[in-house]
Parts: sequence; C-alpha cells; structure tokens
Amino acid sequence: MRTCDSHECSQLNELKIDMNALNMLAGWTCNGNTIMIEQMPIFGGYCGMVEETAICDVATTLASFTLFSGNFHLDGPIHIRWGTTTARETLQVAGHAAAAIDANTDLLLANQYYPMAGPCTEMCLLETAAQAITDTASGRELLSGSAAAKGVVQDKTTGMEARIMGEAAKATAGMKIPEVNKLLNKIVSDYEKHYTNAPAGKTFQECYDVKTVKPTAEYVQVYDGALKRLRDYGLDIKH
Amino acid sequence: MTAHRHLDIFESYNRFYNGKKVREDTWDYCTVPNSALMMKNKYDIKFTDDIVPDDDDLCDRLFLAGVEMLATTGFYNTDLGRAFSLTEDEIYEGIKRAPKELTLGFGKDRCICRKRLGNADFKPLVEGGPTGAPVSEEIYVPMMRSYAQESTVDLLVSGVLNSVDGYPSTTNTPWEIRATLAEIRYVREAALMANRPGLGI
Repeated sequence: MRTCDSHECSQLNELKIDMNALNMLAGWTCNGNTIMIEQMPIFGGYCGMVEETAICDVATTLASFTLFSGNFHLDGPIHIRWGTTTARETLQVAGHAAAAIDANTDLLLANQYYPMAGPCTEMCLLETAAQAITDTASGRELLSGSAAAKGVVQDKTTGMEARIMGEAAKATAGMKIPEVNKLLNKIVSDYEKHYTNAPAGKTFQECYDVKTVKPTAEYVQVYDGALKRLRDYGLDIKH
Repeated sequence: MTAHRHLDIFESYNRFYNGKKVREDTWDYCTVPNSALMMKNKYDIKFTDDIVPDDDDLCDRLFLAGVEMLATTGFYNTDLGRAFSLTEDEIYEGIKRAPKELTLGFGKDRCICRKRLGNADFKPLVEGGPTGAPVSEEIYVPMMRSYAQESTVDLLVSGVLNSVDGYPSTTNTPWEIRATLAEIRYVREAALMANRPGLGI
C-alpha cells in the first residue's frame, strides 16, 4: 500500500473488537497510515429498534475515532431480516446517526452499500440511489460501494452501480431536507414492495464486454429507465 | 473531569487488559440492549417517518445519547473477555484530535475528503468497488476497471478475490495473504488501465 491509500479493519457487533483488529491498528498507527474503521450495526439485532440501533451507531462511530485511532468511520446499518443497507429502517438509522454526529463534530463519516437486487435491474439502481440520497443529505463525506445482491453472490457487482451512486449524490447535494424526505419516501416505496421477489440480476460478465469493459446495451437501457424514474420522483439528475 | 489526554490504541489495549471480566453473551443480550434502551428513554429519542432528520434538537439529543452510551457501557474485547469504560471528556478529546480532512491518491487523481456540514452543496466522495463482495480471479481487473473509469468515482475499494492461482483464498491460511496482496496489485492495474494511476485505494 502507498501512503496515499487507506487501511481498513472492522469492529464487531455491537461495541466489540478483537485482538486481530487491535494489532493491525497498532501497526498502522505507528506507521502513520490513514485508517478507516468499519462497523455495521444490526437493525433488529442486539439493540432492537431504529432508535436504539441509531444510538448504538453513534457510540460505535465515536469509538472508531476516540478508542482506536481511526481517521474516518465506515458505517453500514444492516437489516436483520433482509441483509441490506437500503431498507427504510436501515436508511433511517444511518440518516439519523450521521446527521447527529455531523451537527456536533467535524468527524469524517462514510457509509457502505448492500442493496438487495442484483446488477442490471432498476431495483438495484433505485436502492443504491436512495442510500446515496440519504447519505448525502445527512452530511456524510464518503460513499463506498456498491455490493449489489447483498454483497454475497460472486461477480454480481459492476461500475454502473457506482455511477448512479455518484449521480444521485450530486443531484441531492444542497437540497432541502423536507424535499429529500418526500423524494426518499417515493423511491423506497417503489422498491420495498419487491423484497420477497427481488430480481437476482446478472453477473459482471453478463453486464459488460469483459475485454473492452463497456456496459451492455441492455444495462445502459436499464440505467436510463432508473434515471427516468428518479427524475419523475423529483431528483434533478442533469445528464 | 478534564481528560489527561486522548486515548490511543495502546492505552485502549491497556484498559482492556485491566478491564472488568464480562461474559460475551451477557454483553450482547443485556449490557448493550439495556444501555441503548436507557439512553433512548433518558434523551427521549423518538423518530418520525423522516429518513433524514430535520430536527436540530433531536440530532443533539441523539448525539448526547451516543456519547453517554459509549462512556457508560464502554467497549468489549472478545479475545480477552474484558470490557472497559472511558470518560466523556476522553471521548471529546478524541473527537478534537481526529483529522478534519484527508488527502487520498496522488497526482491529478488525488482527492480530498473534507467536512460537509449538513447537506452541503458539493457531493461526498465516491469510493467505487465491490466493497467486500466476492469476485472471480479471471475478471478481477476488468471489474475494478469498470469502477475506475466512472467519472463519479474518486477512490477505489476492493472486492474479495475468491481464489489466487486457482486456490481458494481461505481465511487464516497463507493463501489469504497471497490473495490480499494480489487484490492490491489488480486494483492498481485496473486504475492504470483506466488511465487513473493515482486513484487512492
């Protein structure tokens, strides 16, 4: 790794860490490396409901900086039933925890993406956009992802999901919060009804020409469909 | 009480080592949930239907609840089976010491992660990549290149290389180390192929 790269390790759920992480952190700290510490609080897990999970999320985030010498914190509240970060409840936990810390500190906050649907589906792109809108509006500094298909299926992630993440973030920056909430309600209501039959999507090899690394015409068409829906819902994506 | 100084990773270890013995299941099923519920009631934390809060007072109370939860509950070390607590002043000292901005990458691909206050009118950085999802060895470079070539992407984050030289990159084996080093090589190659050699990882 170069000095301009960052190192990453994880806490454990909830408010726990092991010696492997401490030892890695000790080495990176002594070297003066940039350190990102991650932790994904579980909604519906040890803490229970959204409010308790958000309180724990704030405590967890602060621990990365104040106990473990982290330089930025990578969040990722995850839904115990769906295994995603894009569910309404987990967006709410992330949105509230970030806004609370952002309003009271200068800490650098990141979030990671685990949508339910796989690549080359409008649902995957809408889920990713909803989280990017939430993270941007709640004051986060960095968006990391996206691990489509819950991040568990081999080769089911592509650059097109990062494209929508960035475009949605750009269009959201500076929007008033009440407008953001109206917009989010429309987008999340659109995809949350498909949780029990979410589209599995396609692999990278099926979404791109692997030699030229160009997305297929099919994926570009799906992407345009998702952009149209986001614009219809009120997100002003320019190009 | 004013903190003597911020905690660093070494002081944290010392405090874990001398911390209180706690059973892990007690921590998971009693200590953490009870503390979260107590803070919810004490600070009257109730969410509306909003996904992003538009209530400054709620944000302040939520922040204070998190600070008090960390200070009173502390942190648990699963290998030592011990937990320690710290003071709120130590937490605030740590917050003050954290960096306000970070520079990542180099050359024309360098980017600065700087504070966005509220919904600032500039977008957050995008760290593109599979962020831990499993990826086949054969397509690792083109997949990472698909992120590196996106104009919205400012940094790269790797996926988990499923195998290396055909061998599974199993946790706690030498192949895991080899796979991790291969991931870094492949991510750099992908950035080079996208003509963005200075992208931070």
